[in-house]
Amino acid sequence: MDNILSVLVFFPAIAGLLGFVVDKKSARAYGITVAAIEFLLSLWLWFSFDTSNAGMQFVEMIPLIPDFGVNYYLGVDGISLFIIIMATLMTLIGMMSMSIEKDVKNMIITLLFLEMTMVGVFVALDAIIFYLFWELSLVPMLYIVGAWGGPLRVYAAIKFFLYTFMGSLVMLVGMLFVAYVYHNLTGVWSFAITDWYALVLPVNYQLWLFAAFFLGFAIKVPMFPFHTWLPYAHGQAPTIGSVILAAVLLKMGTYGFVRFSLPMFPDASVMMITPIAVISIVMIIYTAMVAYAQKDMKQVIAYSSVSHMGIIMLGIFALNSEGIGGSVFQMLSHGIVSGALFMLVGVIYDRRHTKLMSEFGGLASVMPKYAVIFGIMLMASVGLPLTIGFVGEFLVLLGFYDVSPIMTILAGTSIIVGAVYMLSLYKKSFFGPITKEENKTLKDLTPKESWSLIPLVAIVIWLGVYPKPVLDPINKSVNAMLVFMDEKAITAEAKEMIKVPHAATKTGEVK
Amino acid sequence: MENLVYIALFAPLVSSLFAALFGMSPKKQFVGVVASVLLGISLVASLMLASYVYTTGNTIHVTMMDWISAGDLHIPFGFVVDQVSVTMMSVVTLVSTVVHIYSNGYMDHDKSFNRFFSYLSAFVFSMMVLVMSDNFAGLFIGWEGVGVCSWLLIGFWYHKEDVSREENPSISPSWAANEAFIMNRIADLGMLVGLFILYWNVGSLQYDEVFAALPHLSGSILNAAAIFLFIGAMGKSAQFPLHTWLTDAMEGPTPVSALIHAATMVTAGVFLVIRANPLFSMTPDVSYFIAALGTFVAFFAASMALVNRDLKRIIAFSTLSQLGYMFAAAGLGAYWIALFHLAAHAFFKALLFLGAGNVMHAMHDELDIFKMGGLKKTMKWTYIYMGLASLALAGIPFFAGYFSKDAIIETAWNEGTLVLWLILVVTAGMTAFYSFRQVFLTFEGDERYKQYGIHPHEMYKYVLIAMSPLAILAVIAGFFKEPFEHFVTALLPEYHMSEHTHHIAWLLGIVVLVFAVGGIALAFKKYYKGLKRDEALESSWYYKLLANQYYIPDFYEEFISKPYAMISEKMWNSVDMRIVDATVDGIAKFLYETGDGSRKMQTGNLSNYLNWMAVGAVLLLVVAAVSAAVIG
Amino acid sequence: MIGLSHYLIVSAILFSIGLMGVLRRRNLLMLFFATEVMLNAVNIAFAAISHFYHDLTGQMFAFFIIAIAASEVAVGLGILIVLFKKHGSLDLDDLASMRG
Repeated sequence: MDNILSVLVFFPAIAGLLGFVVDKKSARAYGITVAAIEFLLSLWLWFSFDTSNAGMQFVEMIPLIPDFGVNYYLGVDGISLFIIIMATLMTLIGMMSMSIEKDVKNMIITLLFLEMTMVGVFVALDAIIFYLFWELSLVPMLYIVGAWGGPLRVYAAIKFFLYTFMGSLVMLVGMLFVAYVYHNLTGVWSFAITDWYALVLPVNYQLWLFAAFFLGFAIKVPMFPFHTWLPYAHGQAPTIGSVILAAVLLKMGTYGFVRFSLPMFPDASVMMITPIAVISIVMIIYTAMVAYAQKDMKQVIAYSSVSHMGIIMLGIFALNSEGIGGSVFQMLSHGIVSGALFMLVGVIYDRRHTKLMSEFGGLASVMPKYAVIFGIMLMASVGLPLTIGFVGEFLVLLGFYDVSPIMTILAGTSIIVGAVYMLSLYKKSFFGPITKEENKTLKDLTPKESWSLIPLVAIVIWLGVYPKPVLDPINKSVNAMLVFMDEKAITAEAKEMIKVPHAATKTGEVK
Repeated sequence: MENLVYIALFAPLVSSLFAALFGMSPKKQFVGVVASVLLGISLVASLMLASYVYTTGNTIHVTMMDWISAGDLHIPFGFVVDQVSVTMMSVVTLVSTVVHIYSNGYMDHDKSFNRFFSYLSAFVFSMMVLVMSDNFAGLFIGWEGVGVCSWLLIGFWYHKEDVSREENPSISPSWAANEAFIMNRIADLGMLVGLFILYWNVGSLQYDEVFAALPHLSGSILNAAAIFLFIGAMGKSAQFPLHTWLTDAMEGPTPVSALIHAATMVTAGVFLVIRANPLFSMTPDVSYFIAALGTFVAFFAASMALVNRDLKRIIAFSTLSQLGYMFAAAGLGAYWIALFHLAAHAFFKALLFLGAGNVMHAMHDELDIFKMGGLKKTMKWTYIYMGLASLALAGIPFFAGYFSKDAIIETAWNEGTLVLWLILVVTAGMTAFYSFRQVFLTFEGDERYKQYGIHPHEMYKYVLIAMSPLAILAVIAGFFKEPFEHFVTALLPEYHMSEHTHHIAWLLGIVVLVFAVGGIALAFKKYYKGLKRDEALESSWYYKLLANQYYIPDFYEEFISKPYAMISEKMWNSVDMRIVDATVDGIAKFLYETGDGSRKMQTGNLSNYLNWMAVGAVLLLVVAAVSAAVIG
Repeated sequence: MIGLSHYLIVSAILFSIGLMGVLRRRNLLMLFFATEVMLNAVNIAFAAISHFYHDLTGQMFAFFIIAIAASEVAVGLGILIVLFKKHGSLDLDDLASMRG
């Protein structure tokens, strides 16, 4: 299959369209089947992926508007590959565990469209295509939050939409400007990211463009202080919405930094290390404290997401292989772990129709399986070695230590404050005697719930013990990117800060 | 030999997974048996490895697979069996096996019997990873692994309710578990930073590569690495000021206290210092600090043990105190003595704890020694065991503690650190006093338990038999001091007393002995005949200070936990909601209200529109004119 | 001698009268007249400037405007009659139905 990427992008969308004619009762089964096929396709992508090649693979290019250099241009490398697989996996698992009764068919169709936009964002190599999918992804999510959400759903949905939309408009201006500069320098129009990489921009241009892209990405990540849409969106979204939002949509922001900001503006990135690191540290500590103050389980996890995204941001701006590789890995880890945690909160919400921790207590006695899986995910979330959460966090902190020891120590407090809010959540909900009568008769995980969670547990442990199959391709692409950034950087400062690993200088090739 | 390494390492893991299969079902006796057998296998394998290393002097190094590789960082799952790790392996598996067998009896009536074995074996596996790893990252895996298992095991009776601090110093098992985990995490951050320092300066985390590269590093880097690694050690080994979790950890089942919070996990910090001895011996200032802190903790913890009424807490304080001794030895450069005391201490302290477990079992979970007394009639063997262990702990000649602890005190003299020496000697006296205060109050004197309607009974026979290896070792371990020194100094730096110290060693020994015997005698005088409470003493400020652990837990509660919760609450309510979110909403509201306000312009009256149009046209003209004037 | 400026002044005065009419009048019919006055003010300016530059384009434009204005009046008056029939008044204040 030469056009596997197109298939990956459009298969869910076409299946979603066909979904309109599917019978209401079988909509769920239909959705799961489609998502499963999509997931298998993405696995197939991994198996046919050439791990020794650091560049873009499975490239497809069809001119769309040749006069302006807009092409239908897709490709994956080690950085995007696993995020795609995670997106398809989480869609599948999310659908499997979905407990929505109302308008299931509409939900399935929406999710399939969402899947298209998510995969689209991560395979797009043309800025316009990227932007298209980026913005399109807002629509299904707006619908999911607005139609299936809690009491404040309309407020939350609109806030989410307008906030992220505003940021990405600024990013669009940035993209147009890059294309304009490219045209001025080379005489041809191009929106291909790979072409843009070759562009060596003066430092002041880089700074302005960095700022424009930053706004778009930072709101999506979400970075402090642009994060306040997130707790509302999570608080109101149905479980499946939160799962996808936390697992995949947030990663678009950090992916954007890796795909656009770093290789296109290496000098600006180096100049921005300190401000971004400071924001990241604020994100890590501040939101962890805010998470500790929450009374609602889901809000704790929502804020913990922000805290973890701070770690990812920090790693990206370590500008060395350990940090960026760790960040990309942490994106996967956070996607799986926070997705699972949101699903777990959904499990208890389905039973008790509340998420307030004060309503629980002693759940471990009545729901032991649930408590075990929650416990494993909790440990992954606080970064226990041999779970997926440790690898990324360790590499990020290790990577950033080279940039600034003091800031690393501050950021490292995440392992303490993270443990504080997670353990306090666990203690309040799962430990202690059962105080509420309603909790005494709660049913443990149903087979449906177990079968959606157990694969995630398996991945959490597998990638914690043996992350190599994932880490190696990521590392390869990251090294290639660093080599290339280093060559491209203009200022001496940037040349010095961008650390190319010794391993890459021997075999490194620039694509 | 490689297979033996894997057997020793993975048998506990298999045991844990096997027990976990039945984790949610009711008690199954065979789970305990299988787990104990698997641990026994691990013990046998460890002992075979020990004899191999001992006889041949070879070390075994295996690399199983890669773990993390990114950039220039390569961390394998590598294991090394050398003199130090094989000592630790033997101690860990020996105590673990005994504790596993013991738990079959102790957890007899617990409905979560199977789950307990799963956790316990998982702990042993983590501990084995910790001691066997050939690199700092692997050590860190074990380090965090034992932390989690400790969390699980302290909070094993998670269903217990929170109570106020007046009733129970540690509030509840789940609270104590969280406290332990979080405090350890604080130290773990230090440890991680230590790893980062080593990695960025050496380029590897393998022990051998790191140690080989140390001479090329500058003094400040060495100091920083040593300090941060030691911060990590302080958490695991509960050194001041991160010590409060250890006594609260006594909320866990007693076998756990014996295994984790006495014999193995808490010694991990000491193990780290011993393992990283090339680093610490190059940083004399840090080492001196370690010795001083260790001495301080030895005294500090012993002082709190003097007045405590809780059977397990007394032993916990004593553990803390003995850890202080070990750090003192390691800090003074006598690494092998620290390791020797670690091993000897593991035996008699585990024995002491298991004995306390018997008492608890007999007394229906009553821990207040003021409510016991006269138990020797019903619990003869337990009395003997605990008596032996206390003799060893007090450092009475020819018991294990005599050889190891005396060596540490002698080291302090030999190094010329007389203040440390003096404190350690006084502490030895205090140790003897509180150990025998506890033994006498529990086993001798009037039978106070009768008022509380308790009918004590001796532990099962097989449990008592299972404890016997520890008892034997507590008595005889000291006689292996010479071969042990010979064995481990193949890897660790040798430490010899100076001629002068050697000369007066007998005198030093007598001084210590006088203090130890004095302590015992005082305890005998005060408590042998039963409990006579001294109201004046108990209401004095220093008694209260000690009984309240110098008010440190309250201090942490008032000045760390509560402010943290309060600031968090403020951050959320005041900052996040009122400032950050309100700003965003404010912008949106501003836009909305501007639109809402200007909506009034749309009256529907054409004449008004025309007026506005004219205004707009004039405005545009003015702007054009002004900009033309300015630019043109 | 009557020069260009005189014509332009007349044009400007006429335009202002028309503008005032547009702004002040309430009757739709009067608004029509006022716009006609403004259009013709512009026509005068066009014709004058065209003569001044010896360029016929301006005068042609004036013709166009006259033609357009005529057709506009035809359509506009038709609408006015319909409106008057419907509302019985041509006062703008009575016609405000598209309030925001």
